[in-house]
Amino acid sequence: MSLRHNLRVVRAVAAVDIRLTLREPLFAIAGIIIPINFLLLFLLFAISGGQAPIAVVMKTHGPLAGQFVQAMNNSQSFIIHTASPADAEREIRAGTVVAVVTVPQDFDAALNAGRRVDIPVELNNLNVDFTNDIRRAVPLSITSFYAGAFPEQVVVRAVESDVQEHDTGYIPYLAVSIVVAGLLLAALLQGSVNAARDYELGTVKELALAPVSRLAIGLGKILGAAALTAASAILVLGVVILVIGVQPLHPLEVLGFGLLMIAAFLALGVLVGTLVRRRQQAIPLSIACVLPLFFLSGPFGPANWLGEVPGAIAAVSPLTYAIAAFEHAFHGFQTATPDLTVDTMVLAGFTLLTVALTALVFGRRGVGH
Amino acid sequence: MTETAIELTEVTKRFGSFTAIDKLSLRVERGEIFGLLGPNGSGKTTTINMISGLSRPTSGGVTVLGVDMLVDPQRIRRSLGTVPQENALYEELTAEANLRFHADLFDVPRKGIEKRITSLLELAQLDERRKSRVSTFSGGMKRRLALVRALLHEPELLYFDEPALGVDVQSRRALWDRILELKERGTTVLITTNYLEEANVLCDRLGIIDRGRLVALDSPSNLRRSFGDTVLEMRTQPVPAEDIVRKVRALPGVVSAVAADEWLKVTVEGGAAVTGKVVTAVVESTSLEEIQSREPSLDEVFQSLTGKELRE
Repeated sequence: MSLRHNLRVVRAVAAVDIRLTLREPLFAIAGIIIPINFLLLFLLFAISGGQAPIAVVMKTHGPLAGQFVQAMNNSQSFIIHTASPADAEREIRAGTVVAVVTVPQDFDAALNAGRRVDIPVELNNLNVDFTNDIRRAVPLSITSFYAGAFPEQVVVRAVESDVQEHDTGYIPYLAVSIVVAGLLLAALLQGSVNAARDYELGTVKELALAPVSRLAIGLGKILGAAALTAASAILVLGVVILVIGVQPLHPLEVLGFGLLMIAAFLALGVLVGTLVRRRQQAIPLSIACVLPLFFLSGPFGPANWLGEVPGAIAAVSPLTYAIAAFEHAFHGFQTATPDLTVDTMVLAGFTLLTVALTALVFGRRGVGH
Repeated sequence: MTETAIELTEVTKRFGSFTAIDKLSLRVERGEIFGLLGPNGSGKTTTINMISGLSRPTSGGVTVLGVDMLVDPQRIRRSLGTVPQENALYEELTAEANLRFHADLFDVPRKGIEKRITSLLELAQLDERRKSRVSTFSGGMKRRLALVRALLHEPELLYFDEPALGVDVQSRRALWDRILELKERGTTVLITTNYLEEANVLCDRLGIIDRGRLVALDSPSNLRRSFGDTVLEMRTQPVPAEDIVRKVRALPGVVSAVAADEWLKVTVEGGAAVTGKVVTAVVESTSLEEIQSREPSLDEVFQSLTGKELRE
């Protein structure tokens, strides 16, 4: 089989798969909606887990009270708004704020006189995650306020030196995981659906009986699925960059690693579809297989912080390298893996291995009359 | 060029401890229409899978068009056209798109492809529907399109799985004509079928497989003759008793004698002399109300060889 014939087959298989996908909108939509749903899920998770909404009741407007509220603002733990006592009470009962912090009327006077000041904190202790955030952040704000307002009285202070060049906000940090999850699911679903379709419809015989290399068929399927995956990828990146406002530091890396990641997980999807041979089974199985791996690959922080076993799993997971590569592309830091060369090699190696496995599994011997 | 299209030599296929094909040897000559018959589970499909390279034999050799399937399966596939039972057409694509995709897979030269598609579609009377989605076609149209597709790369050997399946009577006849035309042009055709009429009309030779073994191999007429030359069906009054059946069965030249309701069915070999003796024996024992004489059917041959009816 000549190279020309191989290329003809790759092009033809890809074109047919694209046409079929467009004519079966249900599966095409599922391939887009599921990644978008995960994007929203992560986004909500990031927003809800990032900063707690609190109401501040200012019973005084003295300069020290103002500095205290500013210190709370600077702690990056709260989304603050001021409210009257009645409104604040209504809000905490309604669950729209986690806590009500009241700055007492004698705040400035008491501090100037060197007297103790009690700051009432009414807490909706609905779950300990939110509760502990408030319990940690209010004393932290008091300390930082005190260090600012009375520096001569605070003699112990932390001297910070940063490993990374700049801070990264919680939402921008999670945005990388959002991108990876979106691309992962889009590629996996499209790949598996495209491959399973031929078995389900019986058209795999047309492929299996043709005098063509299995590799050419596999590559054609990957290329065909890539077209629709690209649509999902653009959507996910569009939301992250334009809506959430997380700008990549290295846009070309986003493009390059985006394509590499799509190729890697399309190949995995084609393998799953070839093994499962039913589209309705391929979709949940794809999700069920990769999501645990995704969560073990450090989407919310370095995976080895989770312990020895999760760390070991993360070390062999291609998703760890995908997340690391995207962290570099978006934020410029590289923590979980040695460097971009390693990330590239792992993802490319994984793609080739999966394509080879797909070619091996793809069905001449599993397809019968 | 070898005169043999397909040669199976001592082919065995096992799935675990189950032997699907047991030392099967078979030869299909070039230019003939060969029918493979067998009840469900007989090993017919496994045999076809090995011939088309979808499955490897556990032992033995499969040679197609002079090429060893294990050595160069791609070369064989280039010369093999297949019409699977379920057509394997992309139903959401048009007829033309299906054909163009097939042309790409089989590397049919782009130059002249348009003309070839048009002429094949015209022959199959599908030219007016070339831009229609296959999902809108009737069963017969799909079957014809699948045949057109199989012929697009001008195969030397065509495998047609159940040609008449899902096809109305009128379309069936047209399909058979197309298959016979292919034979005229020198194409070897291998069919599997459960329709006796189809096997009779189309096949030069038939191979009957049962439990993974070849139990008969000959032309349809020779197979029928091997079963006996005449079937006598006699209605008696009262119904034929067991002793009459035994008496008839014991006569020389009687292949089989079976009583069913008020009919006694006797297959004989030896012409009028044997027939006369059978009738005499029946008349001596009971009242003969009606008698019919005909040639044995292929179904009877099949049933006697496999113990099953063809369409089971």
